Amino acid sequence: MRVFEVIKGRRSIRKFEKRLIEKKILQKLVEAGVWAPTGGNGQTWVFMIVTDSDRIRKIKAVSPGVLGIPSALIVICQDRELAYKKGGELGRDILSIMDVAMAGQNIMLQAYDEKIGSCPVLSFYKKGVQTLLNIPDWIVPELLISLGYPAEFPKPPKRKFGEVCFFEEYKSANGR
Amino acid sequence: MEDKLEKEIFELICYMLISARNLDQETKMYGPFRLVDAASKLIEILEKNEIYDEFLSQARTIIEANKYKVMTDKEEFLSFLDDLALKMVAKLKEDG
Repeated sequence: MRVFEVIKGRRSIRKFEKRLIEKKILQKLVEAGVWAPTGGNGQTWVFMIVTDSDRIRKIKAVSPGVLGIPSALIVICQDRELAYKKGGELGRDILSIMDVAMAGQNIMLQAYDEKIGSCPVLSFYKKGVQTLLNIPDWIVPELLISLGYPAEFPKPPKRKFGEVCFFEEYKSANGR
Repeated sequence: MEDKLEKEIFELICYMLISARNLDQETKMYGPFRLVDAASKLIEILEKNEIYDEFLSQARTIIEANKYKVMTDKEEFLSFLDDLALKMVAKLKEDG
């Protein structure tokens, strides 16, 4: 698929088929994530792939934002100690979060290209996920991505391209 | 925790308590969404454990068909909640 087609076709999917995703596809998704840019080439993220259905159930119980029953989860974490060592406060508090977002988008676009639905989730209890996945304190889960073969194909919400894109100078359309 | 019902109820309680913890930093409309979603989950657990009620089952169908409107259309989401709340009140009155 062409990149623009993938970007426009991806939807947040919250209903999934009961069908497993092959391990090699999940690894490819994470590979797409690690090819995302990072601030100062920090590469301080850690990616956890979860496929065990019992573990997914438990993570769901501490993650109100995970909807439906996904076949897999990718938890994108940040090694906050390493991020601080490499980039100071800016690296730990801002760049690391932007890096997670960029890796997450790569993962979701690659998933769409593999015909897999995805949904980014921030509504979860970080300490709970750390405990359930035996993640040490300094590695903090920042974003969950739920994954599965889609059982729905939602319509895209409208985009306001004309109201948010300007050439050369900002021109207010509504006085703001 | 071996018992299936006990496990399902425990996970629902986790969902509700963690929602309570997280909601103060989340989008305001996620509050009503989590509550209505929890109601749906509870009805589902009851059904799975053979505690079936036709009225509640219909309520769950309505919830599942409408709950994601919170992501796209706040007015429609609130209107669905209004309709559902009125149905619940009518049932409450009817049952004496």
